[in-house]
Amino acid sequence: MPHDAIVWREWNGEFVVRNECSGSTHLLAPLAGSVLQVLLEADGALIVADIAARLDDPAAAAGPEGYAAIDAVLSEFNRLGLAQPEQQ
Amino acid sequence: MIVADLSHQELVRRLAGAGLRLRTGPIVNRIQSRLAKVIHGVALHYAACPIENSEGFADFHVRVAQPRSLRRWLAPQVRFQFDGTGPFLPLPANQAFAMLEWGLNWCVSSHCHQYLIVHAASVERSGCALLLPGDPGSGKSTLCAGLVNRGWRLLSDELTLLDLAAGHVVPLPRPVSLKNASIDAIRRFSPDAVLGPPVHDTVKGSVAHMKAPTDSVRRATEAARPRWIVLPHYESGAAARLAPLSKARAFMHLADHAFNYDVHGRRGFELLGQVITNSDCFEFQYGALEDAIAVFDDAGRRA
Repeated sequence: MPHDAIVWREWNGEFVVRNECSGSTHLLAPLAGSVLQVLLEADGALIVADIAARLDDPAAAAGPEGYAAIDAVLSEFNRLGLAQPEQQ
Repeated sequence: MIVADLSHQELVRRLAGAGLRLRTGPIVNRIQSRLAKVIHGVALHYAACPIENSEGFADFHVRVAQPRSLRRWLAPQVRFQFDGTGPFLPLPANQAFAMLEWGLNWCVSSHCHQYLIVHAASVERSGCALLLPGDPGSGKSTLCAGLVNRGWRLLSDELTLLDLAAGHVVPLPRPVSLKNASIDAIRRFSPDAVLGPPVHDTVKGSVAHMKAPTDSVRRATEAARPRWIVLPHYESGAAARLAPLSKARAFMHLADHAFNYDVHGRRGFELLGQVITNSDCFEFQYGALEDAIAVFDDAGRRA
């Protein structure tokens, strides 16, 4: 997904994001918004542990539960066309 | 010149002939009709509105007329025409003025893409606009009518026009559409309000239009900056309660209630973001108009 295809605004930890490719606008919870910010700032593909480490509060997203939450966010991003898994 | 400057005979002549070029906010409507309900409705509700030169440009060319058929005698109907086409099914003849109003709303919401158009009532005090987006039945028109009868300026009852460059609300002061119980509620709340005759058994139930205050019509060129976004919810017997709403949720609500958010793409996103950033956002539940108005008067004084 080209970075300039995503525009977003954040207020008090909640995000709205517009996907220029789909024309859709989505409301994102704080974790999803933070993950999206990490992805937009990254130079290339990241694994879940990398994303967790780059969040503002890495400790909160560490461990199996945190990773599972990030994984669920990534699956939702894939469904919405906001981010795709790297092709092997 | 305004509509009230015309004699009744001249108003009839224009409406029945080449058309009355009526200015409502930034829009010029060329209206044609021979129907008494339309003539009386225009004379009552648009008395303070400017009329434009008969040779000048008009944004919309509309006509409300009876179709030529046997129904003209059996169960008379009226048809709304836009540029000579009929975008809607005909309605019973007693709904002629309401059909003009609904048709003019459709003209704006379907064509005025120089604005971001939100399905919201909006009123102003001290240069600050209060936007009341809501679905039918949410109580937004009742609240809007109550506020304009207590000193707030009417910007629009139904279609809030947001200027794409500055993000200001561009006034479109036209009659306020009251439905069902809200008709008597406004009569009780403000006996001086000017209401047209109620029309019963429409698709929206009973409908009556309240005339826009003359001062609001005269100040139709004065834009206002959005300051509050309030999602109204009328519930019989409920106490008036203003509860904060997160800006992100308010954004989604405005986007959902915009007629042409998708038309504007990224510009629409950025404009709504600007409006939300500069506004305080709330959900508002109310069950009594007097209590509701007191809440907003207090907020308006503190602005």
